[in-house]
Amino acid sequence: MWREFFALLKKDFKLMLSGRFFLLMTGSLILYSCYINFIYAGLDQNIYPVYLYDPLCVHNETSSELIKVESSEELQAQTGDGYAVGIDVSGKTPDISMISSGISSIDQYRAAYAMSLLSSKNHTAAEIIGTDNREMKSRREITCELLFFELAAVGFLGIASVLFKEKQMGIIRVHGVLPVGKTVFILSKLLLFLICDLVFSLLLTVINLGVSEGFAVLPYILLQTGILSLIMALTGFSCAILLRDFKQFSLLYLVLAIFITTPVFLAGQTGTARGWINYHPMYHLFMAMKNAYRGIPSENGIYYAICGLTIVLLSGLVRRTLIREMAKEG
Amino acid sequence: MKGFIYQLKNIRRDKLCIVSFLLPVLAGFAVSLLSGVNFSSLSETIFYVMEDDLPDECTEWLQTIGTVTAFPDIASLKDAVNNPATQAIGVLKDEGGIRTLLSGDELQIYTVTGNTLPQLYAERNNFAAAQVSITPVAENRDALKSLLIAITMITAMFMGCTFNAMSIIGEKEDGISFINEILPMTKAEYIAQKITLGFIGGVISTLLTAAICIRVSVNQILPFLLLIVLSAFVAALAGLFTGKLSGGLMTGIVCIKAVMILFLAPPVLLYLTVPPGSFMHSLSCLLPSGATFYGLMDLLNGQTQGIETNIIVLSAHCILWLLLFFAAERSKAGAGSAK
Repeated sequence: MWREFFALLKKDFKLMLSGRFFLLMTGSLILYSCYINFIYAGLDQNIYPVYLYDPLCVHNETSSELIKVESSEELQAQTGDGYAVGIDVSGKTPDISMISSGISSIDQYRAAYAMSLLSSKNHTAAEIIGTDNREMKSRREITCELLFFELAAVGFLGIASVLFKEKQMGIIRVHGVLPVGKTVFILSKLLLFLICDLVFSLLLTVINLGVSEGFAVLPYILLQTGILSLIMALTGFSCAILLRDFKQFSLLYLVLAIFITTPVFLAGQTGTARGWINYHPMYHLFMAMKNAYRGIPSENGIYYAICGLTIVLLSGLVRRTLIREMAKEG
Repeated sequence: MKGFIYQLKNIRRDKLCIVSFLLPVLAGFAVSLLSGVNFSSLSETIFYVMEDDLPDECTEWLQTIGTVTAFPDIASLKDAVNNPATQAIGVLKDEGGIRTLLSGDELQIYTVTGNTLPQLYAERNNFAAAQVSITPVAENRDALKSLLIAITMITAMFMGCTFNAMSIIGEKEDGISFINEILPMTKAEYIAQKITLGFIGGVISTLLTAAICIRVSVNQILPFLLLIVLSAFVAALAGLFTGKLSGGLMTGIVCIKAVMILFLAPPVLLYLTVPPGSFMHSLSCLLPSGATFYGLMDLLNGQTQGIETNIIVLSAHCILWLLLFFAAERSKAGAGSAK
């Protein structure tokens, strides 16, 4: 049995190699890491710039955050973007001017903040109660999201590409008459994709979170990766057997990417629509992955029980579908 | 024309291809159904307070500059402030005023807000002495919803790219590209057919999505149509490039994914984080989707000042990409004849 299993593993590995699966994974890893390191990690939103027009130099002890301008025209020009705030102190009372942001509470705050800069008082710093900084938080969040997308959507696609190639080459038909168990046929593919996903998770996490931070959360991440990878690979497996060609499958992938992963990201990121999202199975997998990136293991036994049951049921479904497909192929 | 009819027949057989053009329409429908969600609250500053802690006057003041949520105890308040999904600021009563709590991972705007809030509260009466003039813009209570609509619309325009790329890759995989070479059809005719198909599909898909999600005023119709037409054309061209460059379905999907990220992510991120008019903001116009995105956001926010610039940028992209495509084709043909 082991000899057959390793022969199948070797064959599947070669198929993945010729299907440029590793190129896809390496390309994704480079693309995601470049995006995280060169764009996302550096993103920040600065506080509203405040411009001051003070021709009589009445306010000498102002905050260093204020940017002085020479004329009221310059003041108008600088504050025309709906973000910056202008203070004109050429009259008796300070005149705070701005283009509305469209939300009145934000405009109120902008005005109050601008006014506070007219005095040079030092602010009392807020008490910091967390452990992460902004950059690390951004890195954790985006790495988690990209990994989830890669495992949910692309992992699903990878196993299907190999199966469609086998269908095209007539390998499925040949397997129907070979003295190799159907379970071994399924297991060899699942194992290879599981290893690939685990390696991908490890590299993506360590490259983008750093060695010490990455390894600190890695056990939790690998556990969630394993669960998600198996579920998605088994789903991809059954869809690939049931659908006619890879083109149809890639459209199903589009549906999956738009309708299944997008609401999950939206709800996970913004905290909106908490009621309905609880019925979305992928949301719980996403939140478990998100918690894993924060170093919080999911202690919910029901979650693991449902995941285990899903994997068992999907495996049964895949085996049945494969037997039916082999019978159909003759 | 005959060739174009054959291409249409080819699509008719592939029902799922038509479904792919309808996907953004369904997404648009889903976005418009989300009207019950108050997206505007997401843009506001969020303050977390403890029940029966702050004086009423302070809570009312906080409500004028953001949204306030009360928690029963300090532990749940700290947990909520620490939640990475939020940028909330914890506010507690202090001797004669307030003190603030931050998790430390907030954007700079919220860090500064957290640090300055006690002073702003102490000086709230000084603020009454100032004269505040706010130039109104069209009320935009649903900033995030506008953003989702713009993303859905760009996805709809992008469908022309996905369709063209998949169609060319499919032809390569099935060997139809070899048959095309011996058919009495010039390369220009083939390109025109492919561009037209992706273009028409993209335009129809975007118009249907727009009909579901947005309402445009009469004076906005022409710039809006120009934005759709130009963007769908660039997307169809990008699909041709992707199809030509991809060797197989897997590499095609990698290319489509990369183009999709490149088309969608930079304009959205720059829109959210960089103030308009800055250098980085102008840089996003290097991508055709940047001009489309900003044009759409302007239209959704009821502004039409910058729309001409976006249309000019998009027209420049159309000409540039078309010239690039012809140059690539010519050099390929030159290399082929040299062999």
